[in-house]
Amino acid sequence: MTSRAGEAKPFHPPAAARESLQGHYAGFASRFASFVVDLIVLTGIFMLVLAAINFAASVITGKDIAFNRGNLWVVIAYLVWGFIYFAHFWGLNGRTAGGAMFGVQVLTDDGADVSLRRAALRTLVFPLSFLILGLGFLGILLGDQRRALHDVIAGTVVVYSWDARAARLRFLSRESSPGADRPAPPALPGRPASPG
Amino acid sequence: MTQWPLGSPLVGGHGSGVAQILGCVDPLAPLRSVGERLAPPMEALAQSIAERVVGLVVGAIDVNAVLDEVDLNAVLDRVDINELLAHMDLDAILNRIDVDALLDHVDINSLLARVDVDGLLEQVDVNRLAARLDLNQLMGTVDITAIVTRVDVNQIVQAVDVDGVIRKVDIDAVVDRVDVNEIVQRVDVEALVEQTDLGSVIASSTSGIAGDMLDAVRSRTVGVDESIARLVGRVLRRPYTGPPGPPAGLRATARS
Repeated sequence: MTSRAGEAKPFHPPAAARESLQGHYAGFASRFASFVVDLIVLTGIFMLVLAAINFAASVITGKDIAFNRGNLWVVIAYLVWGFIYFAHFWGLNGRTAGGAMFGVQVLTDDGADVSLRRAALRTLVFPLSFLILGLGFLGILLGDQRRALHDVIAGTVVVYSWDARAARLRFLSRESSPGADRPAPPALPGRPASPG
Repeated sequence: MTQWPLGSPLVGGHGSGVAQILGCVDPLAPLRSVGERLAPPMEALAQSIAERVVGLVVGAIDVNAVLDEVDLNAVLDRVDINELLAHMDLDAILNRIDVDALLDHVDINSLLARVDVDGLLEQVDVNRLAARLDLNQLMGTVDITAIVTRVDVNQIVQAVDVDGVIRKVDIDAVVDRVDVNEIVQRVDVEALVEQTDLGSVIASSTSGIAGDMLDAVRSRTVGVDESIARLVGRVLRRPYTGPPGPPAGLRATARS
């Protein structure tokens, strides 16, 4: 999708894949689910690190370190870790762990890759959308480009990075293969997944 | 009857009775009578003599030598063929000719073998000939089906140097004229995957259960995205036609 070296591939959707979601602005649910997964991941890692530190301290000093949410340093460390997590992954390839899972990617508003500086800015202004009672996220629901407040400030957009049509073809190919399991078919624009 | 003059000795001095008698006498009548009696046998004699003479003369003449002396070209030049033909009933003549029997005696192949077709064709103005042809009318009279059924297509195809034909084809030019995108758009890829072994190939070449689960999770989430967007569109009375985008930069990349 992007022109980043290494993993990045140029966006050349074939004509037959016009129903693919790839490159279209991601909706609220995908972005929210992606954020939730990111919170779980970064919190889990943070807790693992704290546990490791606690274990190391107990081994070295023979005393446990009481980490809790009331500890200011823990909060600061958590916020710093969160900044590093998001800024690093958005600046690296536009995808965090949650973004990779739900197939969403952060790009600049003209479709280019996000630089580390812009990723840092986006991470810094990200809390603003929360701090104004979540009104910063209304743009995702109402805007033509589905941009939140922090997207507008940082000049970024969030798009689908997965090929829905290719996923559907994969599903159909398994369906046509003998003895294949039949999970629900992937949805296409205007063709949502069947219930059940 | 002869009229004697009055001054004649036969008339004068002996009175008018003698003259009347003599006036009734034709002195040449006996001779005329003899002539009439001799004429037929003399004519028969003359005719027999003439036939004899002609027979002798003809027998003595060498016709070939005579014909050699005749300048036929000069004779023919003096003959007005058109006038001659004008007096002839050609239709009657043609009606009396059995053309089929005539053609049976003709060795067409031998005749054609003697014809210089190339030379003949060089003298033909094909364009002018074609301009005079009413091809539509001509084709209307042709039973194309009957002709095609008589054609041994296999034999024709075997005689064609397909490789030679292909070598003459500018494949690049042909491909340049093909709108591949248009063709691909007309392909029902989903039906292709479902109904052919291509599906098995794709299935064996793509990710396994984890990938399927990821596709399923993403598709579910996209379904929720669409539902939310439709709900918002309904509230705002704004028609929803699918997810917006992509960004201008991505569109430009996709076109390149």
